[in-house]
Amino acid sequence: MAVQHNPLWTRWFHAFDALVLLVMVGSGLQIYNANPVFGSRGGATFPQLVTLGGWLAGGRYWHLGFMALFALNLGIWIGLLLQHRRRHLAQLADVVTWRGSQNQAKRRYSAHRLIYTLMLVILGFSLITGLAMYKPVQLWWLSGLFGSWQMLRVFHFATIPAMVALVISHGVLSWRIGGWSLLRKMAV
Amino acid sequence: MDADQTSAPCLNRRQLLKAGLGVGGSLLLGGCWADGYGEDVANATRPLNERIEAWLQSKGPGPEFPRSQVRPEELLLNSFNGVPALDPASYRLQVAGLVGRPLSLDLAALAALPQQEMIIRHICVEGWAAIVAWGGVRLADVLKLAQASNLGSYVYFDSADGYYESWDIASAMHPQTLLATHMNGEPLPAQNGAPLRLATPIKLGYKLSKWVTAIRVEPTLMASRKGYWEDQGYEWFAGL
Repeated sequence: MAVQHNPLWTRWFHAFDALVLLVMVGSGLQIYNANPVFGSRGGATFPQLVTLGGWLAGGRYWHLGFMALFALNLGIWIGLLLQHRRRHLAQLADVVTWRGSQNQAKRRYSAHRLIYTLMLVILGFSLITGLAMYKPVQLWWLSGLFGSWQMLRVFHFATIPAMVALVISHGVLSWRIGGWSLLRKMAV
Repeated sequence: MDADQTSAPCLNRRQLLKAGLGVGGSLLLGGCWADGYGEDVANATRPLNERIEAWLQSKGPGPEFPRSQVRPEELLLNSFNGVPALDPASYRLQVAGLVGRPLSLDLAALAALPQQEMIIRHICVEGWAAIVAWGGVRLADVLKLAQASNLGSYVYFDSADGYYESWDIASAMHPQTLLATHMNGEPLPAQNGAPLRLATPIKLGYKLSKWVTAIRVEPTLMASRKGYWEDQGYEWFAGL
C-alpha cells in the first residue's frame, strides 16, 4: 500500500524534535531529584525510569549539553511556522472556531494550530526560565522578573507537565484526524 | 473517507496508545544505557559553554541584593565529611606556590586587611539558592599581598576537612570573590566554614570551599586532582 510520506526532512525534524525534548525532560527530572522543587530535601523524587544521566552531574551534562541544540531547534521551528503562519500559526479566530464551530474538521484543524502555537510558547518559556537559572549573574534582570528563585524553579518545572499535556493532545488529535495513515506519513 | 483509512487500521486507538507508551518508555529506559554517554555530550559542548561563561563574567559585577532579602533559613548545609574542629588561636592561612612572598596569616592579620561585605545569591548545583550577606577580605588582595606570579593560571584551595578545589585565576581575582569570615553580619558559624571560607556570586556552591587553610598558586591544572566533586565528574568551571 502506497503511503504518501511527508518529505524526509519533515519526518527527520519531527523525530529529532521529539528526541531533543525527551533528553531535556529526562535530564531535567534528574536534576530535579537532586533537590526537589516541591519539598526540597524531604520532597518526592522521580523514578529512575524517567530520568536521564544517572546522577546530578550526568543529568547536568545532558541538560546543558543539549541546551544549545534545544534553542537552535526551537528557533528553526519558530522560523518555519512563521514562514507558514497562515496555515499553522493560531489566530484568535481559531479559539472561536474551536469552541463554537459545527464543522468538526474545522474545529480539529483549529485545535491543532492552537496546540502547535501553545507548544512554541511553552518551549520558549522553558528556554527563558532555564537561561535565567543558568546565568543568573549576567541575566539578573531576567531572573528578577520571576520573583524569587523558588518561583523561577516552579515556572521552569511547570513547562514539563504543560508540554506532556500538549504532546498527548497532539497525538490524540492527530490520530483522530488522520489515524494510522497520518501516523505513517509522519513517523514510519 | 478514503480507501487508505478504511483498510489501514490494524491497531485501534487503545492499542496504539499502548504501543506509544511502550516506545516512549523504552526510550526513557534507554536513558539508563545512555547515562554513560553523558560525559561525551559534556566534552563536546563544555568548551564552548565555558568560553561563553568566562566572557560573560568579564562583563561586570554580579548582582547584589538588599539586606531585607537575606533568608538565613534557605541556606542549606552540605559537607562531605562533617564539621572539622579548628582552633581560631592557632589557625593560619598558608599562601604558597607561584608567589613572590609566601604568607602565613593568622585571623588578626586577615582582619587587618580591607574588609568588604556583599549580599549575593548563593546557588547550589542541586538547584536551591539563598541570598546571603558575606563579609571578609577580597581574595585578590591576599593574592596581591603574596605577589602571585603572572605565570599562575590556577589557584588551589585546601580545607581542614580534606576538601580541595581549584579555580581559574580570573575568577579568583574577581572583585566579588571573598575569603569570608562573616555571614549575615555575624562571625561565620562553624558549620558554614569558620573561620574562613570562599564566597562569590560567580561560581556554584561546590566551588566555595569551607574551612580553607591553604591557598596555592599553580601554573597548571592537575587533570587528576581538580576538586573533590570535580574528580567524581562535576563540571570544573561551574560559572554562574
